[in-house]
This record gives sequence, structure tokens and C-alpha cells, in this order.
Amino acid sequence: MLDQYLKSRIKDAERLVEKLQKHYDYVSVLGTCVRNKVILVSTHVNSIDDIDNECGFVIKVYKDGRYSEYSCNDIRDLKSSEVIRSVKLDQVFSKDFKVKMLEEQPHREDYLREDPARLSDGEITRELTEVKDAMHRKDERLINFAARYMKRETSKIFVSAKKRLTQKYDWINVMQLNVVREGDVIKSNYEAEGEADSALALQKFKKHAPEVLDIALRLLKAKPVKPGKYTIITDPSISGLIAHEAFGHGVEMDMFVKNRAKAVDYVGKYVASDLVNMYDGASSCLSAASYFFDDDGIEAHNTQIIKNGILQRGISDSLSAMELGTEPTGNGRRQDFSRKVYTRMTNTWFGPGKDKYEDMIKSVKHGYLLCQTNNGMEDPKNWQIQCTASYGLEIKDGRFTGEMIAPVVISGYVIDLLSSISMVSDQVTVHGSGMCGKGHKEWVYVSDGGPYLKAEAKLG
Amino acid sequence: MMKKNEIISCIKANKKITDYELTIQNKNSRELFYVLDHLEINRAVKTTTAKIEVYVADRKTVGSSSVTVTAADDVKSLASKLNKAVTKAKQARNAYYPLPEKTVNIRDKKGVKRDLNDIAGKVAKAVFKANVYKSGWINSTEIFVSEFTDEFISSKGISHCSDSFKIEIECIPTWSNKKEEFELYKFYESSKPDYRQITEEIDEILKLAKDRSNARTLKEVELPKDLKVLVKNDMLQVIVGTLSRDLTYRNVFMHQNHYSKKDEISGNPFDLTMKPVVPGCTASRRYDQNGIVLKSRKIVSKGKANAYYGDQRFGSYLQEENISGSLPVCEVKAEGIPYKKEKHLIIETFSSPQMEEDSGYWGGEVRLARYFDGKKYIPLTGFSISGNIYENMKDVQFSKEESTLRNYKGPKYFIFKNIKIS
Repeated sequence: MLDQYLKSRIKDAERLVEKLQKHYDYVSVLGTCVRNKVILVSTHVNSIDDIDNECGFVIKVYKDGRYSEYSCNDIRDLKSSEVIRSVKLDQVFSKDFKVKMLEEQPHREDYLREDPARLSDGEITRELTEVKDAMHRKDERLINFAARYMKRETSKIFVSAKKRLTQKYDWINVMQLNVVREGDVIKSNYEAEGEADSALALQKFKKHAPEVLDIALRLLKAKPVKPGKYTIITDPSISGLIAHEAFGHGVEMDMFVKNRAKAVDYVGKYVASDLVNMYDGASSCLSAASYFFDDDGIEAHNTQIIKNGILQRGISDSLSAMELGTEPTGNGRRQDFSRKVYTRMTNTWFGPGKDKYEDMIKSVKHGYLLCQTNNGMEDPKNWQIQCTASYGLEIKDGRFTGEMIAPVVISGYVIDLLSSISMVSDQVTVHGSGMCGKGHKEWVYVSDGGPYLKAEAKLG
Repeated sequence: MMKKNEIISCIKANKKITDYELTIQNKNSRELFYVLDHLEINRAVKTTTAKIEVYVADRKTVGSSSVTVTAADDVKSLASKLNKAVTKAKQARNAYYPLPEKTVNIRDKKGVKRDLNDIAGKVAKAVFKANVYKSGWINSTEIFVSEFTDEFISSKGISHCSDSFKIEIECIPTWSNKKEEFELYKFYESSKPDYRQITEEIDEILKLAKDRSNARTLKEVELPKDLKVLVKNDMLQVIVGTLSRDLTYRNVFMHQNHYSKKDEISGNPFDLTMKPVVPGCTASRRYDQNGIVLKSRKIVSKGKANAYYGDQRFGSYLQEENISGSLPVCEVKAEGIPYKKEKHLIIETFSSPQMEEDSGYWGGEVRLARYFDGKKYIPLTGFSISGNIYENMKDVQFSKEESTLRNYKGPKYFIFKNIKIS
């Protein structure tokens, strides 16, 4: 159920909105409480923590064409004069500029999505420990095994003159990291499960553990890739990373406002092979970024970004939508209550195609199956892309050779990469265990994924 | 929010708690967000965060659990949280290690009164003073002016307090070559308002954006083999961070260290000292997360691994006598070489610096580099560099120029050979 503290502050929020509306044309109050249960079982360190990751409020006001915000711990004894005084700017450098005010429709609703499993700390610790011990028994080159269970319980309230919304939703991640050593060579491999159900997340964690260790051990013999252009097949995590970096960041519409996104000139034009469809939205699937309303109080959407290779539209928060004269898409997100809202991705993924995975592998003369997201970086202005896969498996004449390369950096021009997609598998997997920064800060939970994709790319 | 003494009374009332550490931070900030040269939104932040680490120990084992105190808490709810934390600490046992004892308590509160709105306004003026070019402009700017008060109290009698001030600027400069627009990224951080320096830094990044708009590719410029590659800023911090992490108690205890004491890191001698406070480095701090009052430790001497450093837990597990604490700043001292007359390549900005700590693989896609062909600098873009840091360090050289970054002070450039350029 909704966090009791937030529930107890709804009336205070309504009172504050009423008072501040005497000074401003628009007022809203967002309250957030995010609680994390983190259970760590590892070779050397164990811990169980219940951490209130964030708990506080942000008051948004609008007057004379400008929005201002005030973030604080509590609103019960907060005087409206404190908000007015803190956000008042007497003299500040700025050219004339007025943003339109968001017109809201009346909306009152309570949303709830909770973890159906009722597992105790002891039960979870036992499951993690069993896997840790089993992996250590399997191979003595394993020098550190760490399993981390995290349940994130998010409660939010949004109150304005026309809206009164509440939501509570849970998400669970179980991560495993294997560090192996042979002589002076140290390698590691990880996998993270993301589910709305603890029991399911732990089940997958257990099932995947032997393979995660096996890959770590194979990485001991992995070689660097010879830089060059190759045929690649991307696994769903790398497909998701490409979706996220190539067109996710590129269609965040606060970038359109700043004229920082090349995508603004390509709406209605081909940006990818006609086999490509791409989506983003908190309601587009059930994953790490599936909420019911965003931090502007806008309901979750499912936005189709690319349809049959043609760029359809971007995603936006309220402020960007007001500046561009478009509708917000429920993508306004904050790192926490003390930070600004930006347009952010949620669950971003490529849609399925018609090809079979086996046929895709058979079709490769010489190339690599690229696996497991490591990290990536976007360049929405100039459409350069850089994605790192943890490892690649060599394919020659349609068969795996047993050779492994690691790590592998995919780089190039976004349109070249997406236009080269020639096969798309028929199954989609979305990975709900990642975080994403905007530029170099503002971390939020996201998911991404897709089918297996066959493309041509520069590897280094 | 509960007062400090109320929180401590609550902790002391729970007799099952063996030890505790309490950290409290107050933050007050003003933030300005610009699109081009107009203010899009302004923000004010006034928050307090409080965290308690609860320890339950016997002779052989210790368990700990974290509790955060929020505005929602009162004596009753905090007492309940502490009870639950005790249960969790008992469930998650670890090998015993003692918490640090009191040595000296730091009282570093200057109590400076500042008008944050006024400072933020002056910072904005300094940023836009550099916005004077026809073909180049500041596309967007975020300004954060913040003051913090920190307190650390532990059951071992440690009681530190300090205050700090920080200006952060995130700026995106853009330059048009009439066919296309090119942008770069600048993050500036300082613990004192130096408005002239802010204008100079923004001007410099605008000029680099101009270089990027005129940059050529490797198809147009042929680079000689065995070219010296100079790296700076973000990548330098990543490299030094990787090397120093290798010599932490934690990595040594877990056998995740590539170097041990006396191992040669480089044939070219350099010293690497971990320090608590270096003027200009905003990561500086005088005590760590366990309250240890930090003292400098030279971990690399004349190119050889010299000592380990790190936190109380792993220092204790390694039975170190003089545990250094988690030192935040790295200072490198080395003899600089003259490089300016011979051909070289300076990597100005990466898309995102990459470092795989297990293997030492490093590199990334280069957004802007400058190639000196013996006569002039030619801006380059659209290529990648890669190497292995453990191999590359063996014959690393250093520039005479110095730079001070968030957690680094030392040569402005590390100069590498045998770097793959593709």
C-alpha cells in the first residue's frame, strides 16, 4: 500500500497548493518515498539494509512565463512565504523568455502494483547463499562471488488544483557477479534479473548462475578484437543498448528544445532499415521503468518512436512539451525529489521481426554474436554512437568457432548502423536492471531490450 | 526532522546495538537552468539527510545494517527501525573488525554567510561573458551553487563536523561550420567563486567546439606509426583511479590486485600519493566514512608499488597496523618531458572514457583530438583509441604542465606509446 507518511501529507499538500495559488498561476506538490531493501551475500562481505533512498517533496510554481521549484524534506510546517522567498530572483541574467503554462484536466486516481511474493530476509539470504556456495564448489578459480537482491518500493503523490494522484509500485533486481583469477589474469562476469515478483527474480538468478560463472571462466582466455568492420548479431541486451543510445537519447525532446538533437529534422524520414520498429513508455511493457504517472503528474504512455524504419515522434516531459507546443508523453522523471525533471527514457525496446535466431547465425560468413551490455554513450547532436558489449562469440560460415573476444566496443554513425539491420528475430526480451544518466549525471532506473538483430558495424 | 540528540538518545536506548556511526548532512542550494541565454527554470533546495550504521558484534563476528532517518520519523518509528536493523545485522554476519577509535575530533565549520542567489547570478554572468562568438554559442547551461554542513558521530567518541561550498557548471557549447553544428561537453567544479576563471574555462571549451567543427578524419590525415598519445582530464582520472584501486586493502584482500608491494608499475619513475586534502580538488575531505582522520600515504614510489591504503574493514582484515582510511585525492609527481616539438596526438575529449579494470583495457571513441604534425595542430574526430593500461604504464611519460581536477593533481598529460588508433 501507499507509504503511510506520504498518505498523511496529502491534506498538507492540498493546503499548500491552495495558499500558494494566491501568488502563482499554477502550483503542484510531488511527494516521493522510495525504500530499498538490499541483501548482499558475497564471498567476503554480507549485509542486509533497509534504506529510505529518498523521502521528500518538490513544490512547482508558475508565474509570468516561468517555472520555479523548491525541494524540501517535509511540507507539514512549511510556510508558503519560505517557498516564495527561496525561488524569488531579483536580478539574474536572462533574455526575455516565457513558457506556456500546462493546462491540466481533472484527475483523481490511486494506483497499486506490489510484489506478490512474501519472502523473509532469511529466505532470500538462504537462496543467495546456496548459489554462492554451489558456485565456489564448482571452480576454485572463482575468487569472489557476490549476489545482491534489491527490492525497490516506490510511493508517490501528486497534488495540484485539478489533480490528486497516488501510486505505489515495486521492482526487484537480483544481480550476480563472478570474479575469477588464473595466475595474473583476472576477469569478471555479471548478470542481473529484473522482475516485479521476487520469487520469479530469484528463480531466474538461480537458473542462470552456472552459465554466468562459465562465461567468466571462458573470459580468462578471451582475446581483444582486431579492429575493423564486421557482421554482428546483437543479443537482446545489446539490441536494447543500441535502441537506448542510438534513438532513445536522440528523441528526448528537451534536446529538441535546445536544438541539440539531429532527430528533430528527421521526423517522417527513414532513419533505419524498414525492418525496424522501436518503442518507449512506462506502459509499453512491464519492466524497471513501469510507473503509472510521471513526476509531472502525466499518465504513463506507450510511444512508437520508429515505425518500419521511419522516425515517428519523440518523448517529452511537460516543460519541453509546453515549449514545443506538443503533448507531454509521461517521460518527465527526476533522479530524486531534490533534482529537476528532465525528459527521460523509460522502457525502450526494438519490436520483433520474423526471423529465427538459428537462421540468423547460419547466415553469417564471418562475424560475432555480441552479448551483454557493459555501457554506452550517446551523441544526439552528431549521431555518433558508442556501445560496449562484455564479450563476443566468433561465428564463421554459420557456426560458432568457440573463440571469444572481450570487451567489444561498437562505434559509428547511428543511421549507418540502424540502416544496416538486415534480420530481426521473432522474440523480444526486455532487461529491467539498468540505470541511465543524462549527460554525466541524473541517474534513473530504465530498461531496454529487443530481439536479436543482424547488422554491420565497426568493432574496436 | 528529528534533532541530532534525539536520534542519538534513540540509538543509545537500544541495548542490543554494540556500536553506531551517525552521519548528517544539511544541503542548501540554488540552481539555474538555461536554454541558450534565457533562464528556463530556477530551483531552491533545502534538505537534511541522516544515516545510521548499526553494528552488532561478538568476539568473532560483526554484522551491520543501515538505517536512514527521514522527516517521517519520530522516536517511536526510529526505535522500530533500529530494532529491525539489529535483527538484520545479526543475520548478516562478517568476520570481526574493530571500528576506529577517537584520535582527534575535526571541527571545520567556518560558518560563512553567503547569498546563494547572488552568487548564482554572478556565475551566470561570468558564463555568458564568454558567449561572444558569431558562429559559436552556449547552447545550454546548468548552474548549481551549494553549501553543505556535515557531521559525523560514532560510539567510539568520534565527533567531526565540517562545512563546504561548491559551484558546479554543466555547459554545452556549440559551433557551426555553416554545414553542420558540433557540440562538446564541459563540467566545471570549484570550491570557491572565481568568476574570471569561469569565463576563461567556458571560452576555452567554445574554442574546442570550433576545432571540432573544423576537425578532419583519419581518411584525410595519415598518422605516423608509434605516435605519442597524450591523454588528460576525465581519462586521466579514470586511469589513476584504476591504478590506485589496485593498491587498496580491499582489492589486495580479495586477490583482485594486479600489483603487490615492490612490483614495478613503470620504468619511468613517478610517485603517487593518496591525500585527504589538496587545494582546488573538490573531492578533498579530512575524514572518511568511518571517521578516520586521514593522513597522506605514498602508494607508488619511483614507479614501484610502495604501500596499500583503504578503509577500516579491509585494512583490519589484512592486519595492517596503521590503517590509512579511504583517501579521496590522488597526487602524482613525475619529471616532465619536452614533447611539443615532436609529432604527437592530444586527446581532448572522449565520447565516454572506457576502462575495464579486470583486463586493463581502456580507450573509447574520440570526439576531439589535436594532431601536431611537427608544424601545426590539426583537429581530428571520428576515431577510436585503445590500449592496455597495465602494459601502457610500463613506459609512460609525463608532461611538465600540471592540472588540478576533482580528485587529481599532477601532470596535465600522461604520454603513452603503442596505442591502437582505428
